[in-house]
Amino acid sequence: MLVRDIMSSPAMAIPAATTLADAYRFMREKGIRHLPVIEGPDLVGVITDRDLRLATSSLVPSPFAPGSPVSTVMSRPPLTADAADPVEDAARTMREKKIGCLPVVEDGRLIGIITGLDLLDALMRMTGADKPSGRLEVRLPDHPGELARLTATLSERGLNVHSILTYPEGPDSVRTVLRIGSIEIRALAGDLRRQRFEVVWPPEKPCPR
Amino acid sequence: MPSVIYHRAYSRYSFGATHPFNPVRVEMMLDLLDALGHPARTVAPEPATREDLLRVHAEYYVRRVEALGAGEEVPDCGDYGLGTPDTPAFRGMDEATRWLVGGTLHGARLICEEGEKRVLQLGGGLHHARRNYASGFCVYNDLAIAIDYLTRHGLWVAYLDIDVHHGDGVQQILYEDKRVMTISLHESGQFLFPGTGSVHELGAELGRGLKLNLPLEPFTEGESYLEVFDQVVPAALRQFRPGILVVQAGADAHFDDPLADLMLTTHDYEAIFRRILEWADLFTAGRVLFTLGGGYALGAAPRVWTILHLLIHDLPVPGRLPEAWRRKWTATLEGTVPAALHDPTPSRFDIPNRQEIAHRNRQTGERLLEGARPYWF
Repeated sequence: MLVRDIMSSPAMAIPAATTLADAYRFMREKGIRHLPVIEGPDLVGVITDRDLRLATSSLVPSPFAPGSPVSTVMSRPPLTADAADPVEDAARTMREKKIGCLPVVEDGRLIGIITGLDLLDALMRMTGADKPSGRLEVRLPDHPGELARLTATLSERGLNVHSILTYPEGPDSVRTVLRIGSIEIRALAGDLRRQRFEVVWPPEKPCPR
Repeated sequence: MPSVIYHRAYSRYSFGATHPFNPVRVEMMLDLLDALGHPARTVAPEPATREDLLRVHAEYYVRRVEALGAGEEVPDCGDYGLGTPDTPAFRGMDEATRWLVGGTLHGARLICEEGEKRVLQLGGGLHHARRNYASGFCVYNDLAIAIDYLTRHGLWVAYLDIDVHHGDGVQQILYEDKRVMTISLHESGQFLFPGTGSVHELGAELGRGLKLNLPLEPFTEGESYLEVFDQVVPAALRQFRPGILVVQAGADAHFDDPLADLMLTTHDYEAIFRRILEWADLFTAGRVLFTLGGGYALGAAPRVWTILHLLIHDLPVPGRLPEAWRRKWTATLEGTVPAALHDPTPSRFDIPNRQEIAHRNRQTGERLLEGARPYWF
């Protein structure tokens, strides 16, 4: 999944000469928290609602006046993403720099923007939670071919996999979480156990005693 | 006298001998009622018409179901959830489903036009079907079609879904409808198909605050289930003041069910059904329409629904099962059939974190009410 698949485009932006008061009003009107700042066609910075609030707060020893231009307060130079970047790269940048958005730039021009919310949407799409599906969780030995063995079984049953997530769990195993387009995950889990897969979900049912 | 709706053609809604959605479940139930000396007096519906379906479903979707039912190739049927392992195509699938829809619709008409109070439709409950998408064994959404009929005839509907799976199709079709409250209790979508049904799904537009979901922890037992049932359902009904209850009475929250992970016993089901009938008397002048639904343990679902049938008719629930019935079905199913109509008491299970499960369910109930209440006033 690429940045261009999840970005908002075109992005709204304001000129560097805009006053803090106007920028604040603009964000309120549009219901947004992040604004790229432009000079002519070029992206020169980013301003957020938090920048505005911190800059103008009465708690600050010498607050900026509402009439100051945003160029005095904005972050510059802005961190940006390329439309062809994988979303996980964008997520890493945002997490490491602790920032809430990345303007998307092509040849120096602003073509879109992604925010933390877009990344949450991407996470939801990647985990397949937007289609009727059941959850299967399997612990696999960390060897080549194990995942292929698992998906071959699903394919034999004609089951459609909406998503697969795999993450390391210990030195020798990986946990694989699948969302599968079927209501009959328990029967599938039984089959997989017979083939010596370690199925974590669904577990065996407690027996009456 | 309650009405029971059934037609032999219901058994045509069948995806094959090894598929869990098996018409033999109703056959076993009818046979059991005979053996108990309380044979079901059923009334026959007409199949729903194409126009009935189009009240809820997209024409391009119905057209594809018709084509598959006629044995034609529909190359893109998978895009509509049709021809999948869960909901495979079969000869006559359009007509077979229209029989089930017609039954539920007939129940709605009996209540609206004939003043009937209690109706049991011995089929239907196809709550996963969407406007243009088949899912989880469900082709057309009989419930949404019947509810549409009821609201057009002036009855506001409280839809109560006790199937172990979230009633996603009904909820989605009626998400913005202010005349319909939906309440679904189900195993949490974090674990079970179809994945939806969180407390945050509350409806939209004028329907906001009227779509309620109680996602329960895996291995929830009857005591905890009934606690949150009592916590949420009467409060919601008292607020909404529906004209009728429509109940999807899936039996797959039973501990023996092969598809899911809740731990209800037949005793819990009896308690649930008694409450529903009581609430119908209290809130909807007794008007209640039950359909069947999921329930895939052949040794359990027919007993659950037999208990429902007896309770609707104010008949006592007997202890033992007739020996002839047990022998016949033990032979037919090549498996053991329980000795009694009810599960053995007490049914106890080895569930290590019982307290935590009950605690989490209680919190879910509170979170749901906290989220919905602001829209109720």
